Amino acid sequence: MHYVIIGNGVAGITAAFTLRERDRHARITVISGESDYFISRTALMYAYMDRMNLRDLEPFERKAYDKQKIDRVRGWVRDLNADQRQIRLEDGRKIIYDRLLLAVGSAPNRFQWPGLNAAKDGVVHFVSLQHLAECEGLTPSTKRAVVVGGGLIGVELVECLVHHGVEVDFLVRESWYWPMALAKEEGELIANHIRRHGVKLHIEHEVNAVRADASGRVVSVSTNKGLDLPCQMLGICIGVRPAVDWLKPVTTPPEINRGIKVNQSFQTTLPDVFSAGDCAEFVRPDGSPLVEQIWYAAKRQGELAARAMLGDAVDYKPSLFYNSAKFFDIEYTTVGDVTRLPDDATSFLHRLPGDAVSIRVIERNGSVIGFNMLGSRWDHTWFERWIHERRSMEDVMQQLHLAQFDVEFGRVRLDGVRAAFAEYLKTGSRRAA
Amino acid sequence: MTKIGTTHWLLHDLKNRGITAWLLSGILTAFYLVLYFTEWLTPLAQGIGLDSKWTLYGLLYTVAVTLGGLWVIRKYRHNRYQVVRTSVVILIQATFAFSIPHLLKFLHQPEYYFSYLWPLKMDYLTPSYIFALPLPFIVYSFLGSALLVPIMAALFGKRWYCSWVCGCGGLANTFGEPWRHLSDKSSTSWRIEKITIYTVLGTSLLLTAMLFISWGAGKSNPELARFTTGFQSFYGLIVSSMLAGVVGVGLYPLGGTRLWCRFFCPMAALLGLVQKFGRYRITVKQNMCISCGMCSKYCEMGIDVRSYAQAGESFTRASCVGCGLCAEVCPRGVLRLENRSSRDPQEAILVQIQGVSASRPLI
Repeated sequence: MHYVIIGNGVAGITAAFTLRERDRHARITVISGESDYFISRTALMYAYMDRMNLRDLEPFERKAYDKQKIDRVRGWVRDLNADQRQIRLEDGRKIIYDRLLLAVGSAPNRFQWPGLNAAKDGVVHFVSLQHLAECEGLTPSTKRAVVVGGGLIGVELVECLVHHGVEVDFLVRESWYWPMALAKEEGELIANHIRRHGVKLHIEHEVNAVRADASGRVVSVSTNKGLDLPCQMLGICIGVRPAVDWLKPVTTPPEINRGIKVNQSFQTTLPDVFSAGDCAEFVRPDGSPLVEQIWYAAKRQGELAARAMLGDAVDYKPSLFYNSAKFFDIEYTTVGDVTRLPDDATSFLHRLPGDAVSIRVIERNGSVIGFNMLGSRWDHTWFERWIHERRSMEDVMQQLHLAQFDVEFGRVRLDGVRAAFAEYLKTGSRRAA
Repeated sequence: MTKIGTTHWLLHDLKNRGITAWLLSGILTAFYLVLYFTEWLTPLAQGIGLDSKWTLYGLLYTVAVTLGGLWVIRKYRHNRYQVVRTSVVILIQATFAFSIPHLLKFLHQPEYYFSYLWPLKMDYLTPSYIFALPLPFIVYSFLGSALLVPIMAALFGKRWYCSWVCGCGGLANTFGEPWRHLSDKSSTSWRIEKITIYTVLGTSLLLTAMLFISWGAGKSNPELARFTTGFQSFYGLIVSSMLAGVVGVGLYPLGGTRLWCRFFCPMAALLGLVQKFGRYRITVKQNMCISCGMCSKYCEMGIDVRSYAQAGESFTRASCVGCGLCAEVCPRGVLRLENRSSRDPQEAILVQIQGVSASRPLI
């Protein structure tokens, strides 16, 4: 049996190790055009900030691949022929598979602003090793930069640039920072924090046009509100989409919508071809498409897809949403539903005085459905459990300390939170979220 | 990435085995060689009114720990564990490891360092040395090594000593902060560490045993007494001078700050063995690790913390000194130092299944 995996990101590599755990003898080949070894994409920013070397981004020792007999092939795949069970690489090499996993991840979104095509130099994304190299090459000749896109990758790139002493204008299209994940209050708290680091954050600004000089290096970006921002680097961080463009012209393309369409067992429309991670598109029970572009989902999908490839009866269901991040110095933990809430949901928000610490618990029909926490550490597994058990907000607030995960001596005191919650109950100030 | 001529170049070079790092390493190594094997520093010490080169060394050491410590406190001011721990490190260095011994000397008492214990300080269980001291010092020496060390390690892990009290660890965690990430994280270095550290521990135990035998039976057996004395000075030269001083500190800018603590210190070995069976552990939050590797990178003991974090395994490693930096640098707050596994959600669920209310903190 020859398992071939295209993509050595977290989904692909987790699948490879899971396959090996169960099948000691099969041939396992992982193909990547990006890197020889699995790297942690999430740590790109630390490499950019000189806190890590490139080698430190590799989560496994290199000898682990030999020990687990996982063959690594470097190169971009150009063709897939499911009838002959064969893929072809850019350099002409052909590989025959018995089962194939497409774990090709995401590619950055790009918007065709006027002038963007003329800017051959200085326009960057920040999701791959190649992007990191570009950014590093440009930084010494950059005094000012514009970063577009109010999400996580955007703020990471901003933090890196600030670290290198670059003046940054940060453009966010929405009316506060990251409305996808944060309510207005928290979005403003983070926005203030970003500004405190010297970043010029422009809310409700969109790019109008990009200008480049004769050599093609970007020189300025103008916005819809009339700002003209000189810059030597333009970072485009407006989300990612499944990296499936290369699959459209192949001999036997699988069915593609936004991503590669798969069933609950990770099977594509092609026989013995599976897909997992950022590039896979599932169908929700209500018929709507589901693409999960997050590390945790990719890891879990990689493991389950491997089991499906081994013949297990796998029925994938996305887990309760959770995530965490860090905005400069502010840590963030979220579980469940916290934005785009139904009208009958209510939320309790408490901001601790002085510190940038906030606690938000959301309930609906008497049970908690979401948590959004900034500035202190929490063990999300407690939140997940409370949501699954449909606990009442009163009960959860009483036990909140169980989920605290702050460093020793640094535990955030919850007395104020509890007092505020008692007030919230008493005054009946439960308001729409 | 940082190139000559750009900002932070010097800092980057110094912290990443660049030319300035080699230069500084040369200076530090030369300083230790001069200190241990010549008397060149004696006139300098006497010139500024100190009684010996060792007092001068103690003063320099205390200044390095204090200044480095203040910088570390500033750097990690948002982290209470780091602030408390570093304050204690500075305080202990300034008192138990510097002013108190000299005060004792001034009061015509033995120059005794309460923050050092056998087997780090071999003298304190060397019968010919220790039995010449007044009784309270003898009692402290014996009880310290026999009770204080293992009990505290069982309760709080080896960190109570290695990253809160010990001078070697103190210097590493203050003055040495810029080089903590240079420790080797490979599984090969872990294998080597286990061989070297337990070899030194075995040697120190053997030496102590022989010192006691020689003290009891040396008079009737001059051959044994001579051999033991030779063994003692060999150990002093190789372990205490070369490994702890010259290698241990001299190589800070090249090999990281805990070379001595990780590969050679017999005290760390002993504490680590107790730690393995004690309450201390690093709890890993389930399914939250993004394998970024900051924890491994900044582990001064060369533990590949990421390998545990990404597998969701809470763990206790004998070498972990509990400095808490892995938890500090983790961008997703995955790690937590604990003295007991009370907060493990799975265990908590088990408790609840068994009918105990989870609202009661599980100790």
